[in-house]
Amino acid sequence: MPFERILAAIDGSEASGHAFAKALELAALTGASLTALAVEGPLPAYAATVGEVEEVRREKDAFFQRLLDQTRAQAEAAGVPLDVQLRPGHAAELIVRIARETDADLIVLGHKGHFLRDHLLGSTADRVAEHADCPVMIVK
Amino acid sequence: MSELAIAAILAAAILAASTISVEIGISVALLELGLGVVVGNAFDLSVPDWLAFVGSFAGIVLTFLAGAEVDLPQFRREWRASLSIGAVSFAAPFFACMAFAYWALGWTGDASQIAGIALSTTSLAVVYAVLVETGLNQTIIGKRIMSATFVTDFGTAAALSILFIKPNLWILAFVAVSAVLILGLPRLSPWFFARYGNRVIEPEIKLVFAALFLLIWLGDKANSHAVLPAFVLGLALSNHYAAHRQEQERLRVVAFAFLTPFFFFKGGMNVSVSALWANLGVLALLFGAKMVPKLTGVYPLARRYCAPHAGFTTLLMSTGLTFGTISSLYGLQAGIIDETQFSLLIAVVVLSAIVPTVIAQRFLQPSAAEEARRDERARIGEPLLQREGH
Repeated sequence: MPFERILAAIDGSEASGHAFAKALELAALTGASLTALAVEGPLPAYAATVGEVEEVRREKDAFFQRLLDQTRAQAEAAGVPLDVQLRPGHAAELIVRIARETDADLIVLGHKGHFLRDHLLGSTADRVAEHADCPVMIVK
Repeated sequence: MSELAIAAILAAAILAASTISVEIGISVALLELGLGVVVGNAFDLSVPDWLAFVGSFAGIVLTFLAGAEVDLPQFRREWRASLSIGAVSFAAPFFACMAFAYWALGWTGDASQIAGIALSTTSLAVVYAVLVETGLNQTIIGKRIMSATFVTDFGTAAALSILFIKPNLWILAFVAVSAVLILGLPRLSPWFFARYGNRVIEPEIKLVFAALFLLIWLGDKANSHAVLPAFVLGLALSNHYAAHRQEQERLRVVAFAFLTPFFFFKGGMNVSVSALWANLGVLALLFGAKMVPKLTGVYPLARRYCAPHAGFTTLLMSTGLTFGTISSLYGLQAGIIDETQFSLLIAVVVLSAIVPTVIAQRFLQPSAAEEARRDERARIGEPLLQREGH
């Protein structure tokens, strides 16, 4: 069997939507188990008021709740069993770590192409491709 | 430069701070403070009167919000541990920094007291962000740290209001009105908010602002400061806001959109980069004067109440930002400290927001899942030694 455990990283962007659709297709074709990982980015560092942190947190919670509901519904419609994980942390680091922890043999993720950030810091996709122990599929 | 030109520059810089904050995940307040330093030094701007006024009011609003954000029921549950950690976290750096500024740096008595107050603080917001991000806010250790932070903040607010008091007859009116507002507003608010709340003209926010302006005016007449009553008033209304999140959210929108940016810009614009550059050694010493007593004072108590994460607790209790800025700005505005002393204090306050947080997160952060299991084992009464894995 080509793939047994697929890890798809999702963040609500258009590219991540395409990537998740591809991961669903692959899981349906190969019968692989599918895990969707949503990474909650950091809260504002060194905040001056609890309010600033709380409001960002509430926005994030609402956003990820919608994203996870939508992802589950997509998988259900495709008839693919799905494990969903929402973790706080640094995106690239966490995707690589969860892939190791779940013994994933394929990581699927989107590439947003943020011009300035990609040139200055490198993209999440680049970093995952560099550090992952398994094949990585980057979907545009 | 005309006042309108300054306003236009500030508005653009405030917008830039917000967008940069969203992009890089650093708090907007820290960026406002930083851009304030850049704008103030690059354009050689002095703070105009209107900015000083709005900034002062915003400082009191921030203090009120800090009080309103305290989780009182949680504090009641954890007060024993929190009281001792919080009190030492305030007192140790307060006395140490005051003594250091007075004897080692030769600052005046009043300026040394401002140094002691500004560097005694712990930032609830910095602590809260770290704990929420890791999920530790749901654990006993996280709750203890947040409650202890409240005690430290209370100490800072009390010191700022009491130490510089030069009482006259107005003090009676100031105390009486403070008491009436603190006792009366929580009783009045359910009726008032139900009758006038949920409107775009926001009568409930105007009620809070009216109360705060009254406190500022009377505090000024009484030669005191409205920080303590504003903080306690926020505290008195914290249960109300906990039950009515939307009201709190709207108050935050008004404060963050218009008021607090001016507060942090005002702080930043008063910082002299050249004075800091010329006093880097003093800056390092002042930073040490804050950190050493915080670490040595809090650590033994943290070992007792927050084991096995005493180091993490101690570092979080060493953070500071908002109250440190409020205290330093008060000192500058009252003519107690000069621009160099102010610049040094703000730089130490900002460093204390960043350095201990980075070290705590990078090297000492406990696992939230492990802590939740530890709490559960404690709840069902498993013996302590077994819990600690001995």
